[in-house]
Amino acid sequence: MDEWKLQPARDLGLTGLERSRSLLRESGLVASMVRWCVWGILGVGFRLLHKLKVEGCENLPASPSFVMVANHASHFDALVLGAALPLAWRDAIFPVAAGDVFFERRGMAAIVTTLINALPVWRRRPGAHEINTLRQRLAGGNCIFILFPEGTRSRDGCMTPFKPGIGMMVAGSPVPVVPCHLCGTHDVFPPNRVLPRLLPITLRIGAPLDFTAVANTSAGWRQIAADLESAVRELMQ
Amino acid sequence: MTTESYEHLLGWWTAFDDPFVWITSVAAVVVLTASGIAIQLLKRSGRINAALFQDMWLRWKSWLWLALLMLIPILLGAAWVIVAVAVLSLLCFSEYARATGLFREKLLCAVVVFGVLALTFASADNYSRLYFALGPLIVGFLAIVTIPQDRPHGYIQRTALAVMGFLLLGHGLGYLALIANSAHYRSLLLLILIGVEANDVFAYCVGKTIGGPKLIPNTSPGKTIAGSIGALVLTTALVATLGHVIFHDTAMDRLELLLVLGAGMSILGQYGDLLLSSIKRDLGLKDLGVAIPGHGGMLDRFDSLVLVPPAAFHFLSLHLGPLNGAFAERILTGG
Repeated sequence: MDEWKLQPARDLGLTGLERSRSLLRESGLVASMVRWCVWGILGVGFRLLHKLKVEGCENLPASPSFVMVANHASHFDALVLGAALPLAWRDAIFPVAAGDVFFERRGMAAIVTTLINALPVWRRRPGAHEINTLRQRLAGGNCIFILFPEGTRSRDGCMTPFKPGIGMMVAGSPVPVVPCHLCGTHDVFPPNRVLPRLLPITLRIGAPLDFTAVANTSAGWRQIAADLESAVRELMQ
Repeated sequence: MTTESYEHLLGWWTAFDDPFVWITSVAAVVVLTASGIAIQLLKRSGRINAALFQDMWLRWKSWLWLALLMLIPILLGAAWVIVAVAVLSLLCFSEYARATGLFREKLLCAVVVFGVLALTFASADNYSRLYFALGPLIVGFLAIVTIPQDRPHGYIQRTALAVMGFLLLGHGLGYLALIANSAHYRSLLLLILIGVEANDVFAYCVGKTIGGPKLIPNTSPGKTIAGSIGALVLTTALVATLGHVIFHDTAMDRLELLLVLGAGMSILGQYGDLLLSSIKRDLGLKDLGVAIPGHGGMLDRFDSLVLVPPAAFHFLSLHLGPLNGAFAERILTGG
């Protein structure tokens, strides 16, 4: 539980769409209750309809903050990862989503922020300022980022190389990064399908990696991306 | 539920039985229409520039919506007033919680929301004893609910903020819903809303016209002593005049009582405004939200209303007898 602070919401004074797009967004009681329902229903739904199997739960850190990274083959990926986490962490979960897909239109932005607390990253204009804001948010505690370092969904289900942006976020930081592998989500809901199939999904959670000793330089970022990519590939075996 | 209770709660068809209600409603429509036309004429004649027009037009549109949102529930019936007051309380508390950081304390916020819903139920049930009991009961609940979390650091501050939020924005504003259980609730509510909103306008206009020394510059740099006294004099006169019409041939229809009612509304309205200004200055904020374009948040608009309803309710009850006597108590639970 966080310490008490007499401090206004960091997104106070922002209007609807600005607030949805803000990386500093903070939510209250109603959003927390909505997410309790959403993550709870998704957890039950994936287990019943897709026979979701989660392996390696013991590898999850005892408490936030941490980052979960995984291969990306479907819009279901972030939902499966979030649904695998304990409901008590629901307010700390932030799937990091493509701004140009989910945050261009007011309605879609409202849906993804209200239901799953997604944060935007603008792929065509990612800035150091954005990454620093996310980094500070992680360092501030009680924060779980769900990230897909491939940058986009794989069209054929095969994992593509990780981009170094993840390294910018965690290099030299004590925040652990948990590699995960999702198996089956591409078959369930590939990019070219409108409706998902009822097929099984398996999530493998690996041991967290620590990048405190890695320099916050471009070489360090590439090393982190490569380390995480091999950790996820190992989980595929 | 008796026919009488049903008509009181949902009887929109009785809205204009009271001449004060239809005169006030027509006056509101006329004032809003005239001011809208005046702003457009000022723009077309070139007397105001585009930026000033945009600002005035934005404020006018906000006032239009606010007037409709305040007037329509009153005209529709007491049940709609009770629901509207609950929504207003929750929106105001939400802004207050986000401004003070209390929104991060979800357990305390949940108890305040529960308290507001319980107050709403008490009003809908016309169960005033429950309403009055909920004040100390919810305050006690707020005081103990976070103790099992074993987080003594910040206990006094966060609990005090939750108690203040509940008492001012839940229990205080909730008196408007309790007033909705009186026989002439439409005219009483209109009197309170007109008195409080006119008080703000009088203070602004007199203050801008006369100027002079500031009232309490560290808390609210824009307010002047002249504006405050002007609002006191004009609001007292307005409320006393309207009160004479509403309370004709009742125990309240005495000049000294009507003057006390008007002066009390003006003073408490101004203190409500200053109370929220104190909170904003303490937190270093200009506005508490962005819900109403041109005004700021809900609380920035309704701050003057926070202290008036309980005082008005008890003052009127003292002289007129219990205000909730329009129909039987406990209409939902039976008792």
